[in-house]
Amino acid sequence: MKHAGEKIVFTGSGIVCGAGTSVAEVWERLEKGETAVAPFTQFDGTNWPVKVAAEVLQDNRFLVSDRKLHKTIARTDMFGIYATESAIEDSGLPAYREGLGEAETDTFNDRTGLIIGSGGGNYRSNYDFLPLMTAAKAAPGEELPYFGRELGNQVTPMWLLKNLPNNVLCHVGIRGQYKGTNACITNQCSSGVLAVAEGASAIWNNEADRIAAAGHDSPFEPEMVYYYHQLGLMSGEPPRPFDAERNGTVFGEGSAAVVLEREADAKARGAKVLGEFLGFGCCSEATGILDLEDDGDGVKRAIESALADAGITKEQVGLICAHGNGNEASDLTESMGIRSVFGDEIPPVTAFKWAYGHLIAASGIADLVMILEVLRRGVIPGIATLGKVDPLIAPFPISREATVPRSDIALLICRGFGGMNVVLVVRGAS
Amino acid sequence: MIEKRRIAVTGIGMVTPVGNTASETWSALLAGKSGAAPTRSFDASGFSTTFSAEVKDFDAESAVPSRKLLKYASRSHRFALAAAAEALADAGIAPTGVDSHRWGLAVGAGMLSVGYEDLTVVRDYAAPDGEFNADGLVRPDFPGNPVNFCRWQSNAGQGLLTKQFGIRGYASSVHTACASGGQAIGTALKVMRRGQCDYMLAGGFDSMINPTGISGFCLLGALSTDNDNPTGASRPFDATRNGFVLGEGAGFLVLEDWDKATARGATIYAELAGDGNSLSCYRITDSPPDGNGPIQAIEQALGDAGITAAEIDYVNAHGTSTQMNDRSECAALKAVFAGRIDEVRVSSTKSSMGHLIAAAGAVEAAVCCLAIRHSLAPMNANYENPDPDCDVNLITGAPQPMRIRAALSNSLGFGGSNSSLVFRHPEEVRS
Repeated sequence: MKHAGEKIVFTGSGIVCGAGTSVAEVWERLEKGETAVAPFTQFDGTNWPVKVAAEVLQDNRFLVSDRKLHKTIARTDMFGIYATESAIEDSGLPAYREGLGEAETDTFNDRTGLIIGSGGGNYRSNYDFLPLMTAAKAAPGEELPYFGRELGNQVTPMWLLKNLPNNVLCHVGIRGQYKGTNACITNQCSSGVLAVAEGASAIWNNEADRIAAAGHDSPFEPEMVYYYHQLGLMSGEPPRPFDAERNGTVFGEGSAAVVLEREADAKARGAKVLGEFLGFGCCSEATGILDLEDDGDGVKRAIESALADAGITKEQVGLICAHGNGNEASDLTESMGIRSVFGDEIPPVTAFKWAYGHLIAASGIADLVMILEVLRRGVIPGIATLGKVDPLIAPFPISREATVPRSDIALLICRGFGGMNVVLVVRGAS
Repeated sequence: MIEKRRIAVTGIGMVTPVGNTASETWSALLAGKSGAAPTRSFDASGFSTTFSAEVKDFDAESAVPSRKLLKYASRSHRFALAAAAEALADAGIAPTGVDSHRWGLAVGAGMLSVGYEDLTVVRDYAAPDGEFNADGLVRPDFPGNPVNFCRWQSNAGQGLLTKQFGIRGYASSVHTACASGGQAIGTALKVMRRGQCDYMLAGGFDSMINPTGISGFCLLGALSTDNDNPTGASRPFDATRNGFVLGEGAGFLVLEDWDKATARGATIYAELAGDGNSLSCYRITDSPPDGNGPIQAIEQALGDAGITAAEIDYVNAHGTSTQMNDRSECAALKAVFAGRIDEVRVSSTKSSMGHLIAAAGAVEAAVCCLAIRHSLAPMNANYENPDPDCDVNLITGAPQPMRIRAALSNSLGFGGSNSSLVFRHPEEVRS
């Protein structure tokens, strides 16, 4: 046994995405087969080849009540703070801390860690420079000196702070005084799931007693849409994972978070338990920024190392939550990796991007939060956009109709740029 | 408690403002040479700070043999590819078809915003009158290049490095501002201790010396404005210090399972013995005056290494040369080392190299390993005026010959992330 004795459980979760601002809201949409992908509102899509996204439509004040903060953080940080603080609230830890004495509170704070997967910025933040750059261009022969001289007059002094990739980490930390071990992971799609894996590892390694792990991103930006479209990765409609007619993914935006702690600690303070973290695998395909191995070997290796880390056999897996981004090569190679491990005994497979789009850095952790809910309810919602499974992938146990997990253990796959494959194994609350 | 797996540092690579290899950098540090000079890569004459510590005469074509990777690599990625190649060559080991899945990568990734050149294209097509209009991007003549898009992805460096060296195990990219490099090496230590990899390439890379990169720091007033004296501008712990000097570069370590390294007779620079990190939870840019935050990181790192403060002989300080950081860091060192504070020798090599931001912690970790190996601690250059708030035992004037049982490397980032690493002399027997 790899992690003998110490069970790590989830005691809180939070989510914000196009499909809702709580687990219950998102679940309701999933169960009804309703996608949040819709014509986008943040810019005019009339002349664009892609006109849809799964946007978060709540205003900043809903997400972060402290209005002073709105000017000093980016859109993605609003999502991250909302979801992380929702998960912490859900865990009951703030109320528990209230009951501690002064010295115990200091220890509690020093032993509470934050591990955040961040999208890392993207493009929008740089547009603050555009008015100055336009003025600088008109200053003939001396564009950069003009830009440098006028910088302080035209751009907010807080520009850099607004755009720190680790903003959610520091603001949630400052607001809650969580001073323990921390990390900000900027590994594109796999950031959020790696935050969960590193969070569990930090507790196993006794660096912390409890960790809030989150992922947040706002990839839905004009330049991101443009380049994803240029690269052939973007669909104009809700994604259809593993479907014969699939033609790309669609951006969502948002954040998801979980709280992890030892089962014994959770029991001692009478916390509700949402599930158990069993293990993970992480590997690179060494294929560069965009390319994928054509045989799904990276997916296979990540699944096998996750099963070994969790100390379970493939037969014990009750369902698979796939990355299923709706792209031709990604879905095909993902199915190949799954098949090479499970053979003809693949447990039920689902994927959620059809419902709330691709949250990039938050994608896998949003799926995790919803998979814990699937296991709790014992129902796997159908994939509403599914038509006919790709013959190159079939037979493959995905369905338009709701199905039932084979056991209380789920395997979750998250893939990303840089040839990344991260697999988590979790057990649901019984 | 189970004995922690021992991790050896067997390879070092650096590209810094004072040298394009580890050995050049080390020689320059011993000489107290400054990497700062008027900025050459763009016309900085209008900016409040007109100088920086640039990497000089770096030949990317010879450092990065693959044309395709070079095309996708930003300036900081090129530093990373070169420093990582040097580290692997130094270690005399590299991933093979048999063990590539046992190799991992952890990097502190640099500047995650877009460079000025790419932004000018957006301006010209989508913001001709200054206000961004998305429709400019779908004009048929918009010259957007997907290669540039790939370059700015948060883990582009990770993707290029794993491909270049065929690393097929754990891979991650982290960013906690100025603490990134230290956190990456700490991440690698954890991954190896839990048995997920036997070998890791760990480090950091950054290059913010460009109009948009430097702007953020100018706006905050964080940079020294000693435009008439660039080489003396970075003077950590000096009473007259007035801001940091922006540097660029990359640093990488090859980390290897101790038993595997000794079995193949590898040169072991040091043991990567402990990692600690904490969040100050004070303010986004300000450092806690009493060192509350950095203290916890240092103590965790000592505890993780299984040693006490009594065994640290040398501290490579974060020492940025800003008023607040240096005072806060000294308060933390005094709290941790207490009565021993005068026995612990301290220097900030940012006095020579400037502040390499996301690469700083990685490069300074490499410096600690070299100091242990050569029994020689580099100096805190440019120090003249004592500050009563920073009265730690600085190494000034010349490098200090000294056997170093264990060295501490601190990295304290914007946002309050603190990272401390402990390196031990390979001959020090674990008790």
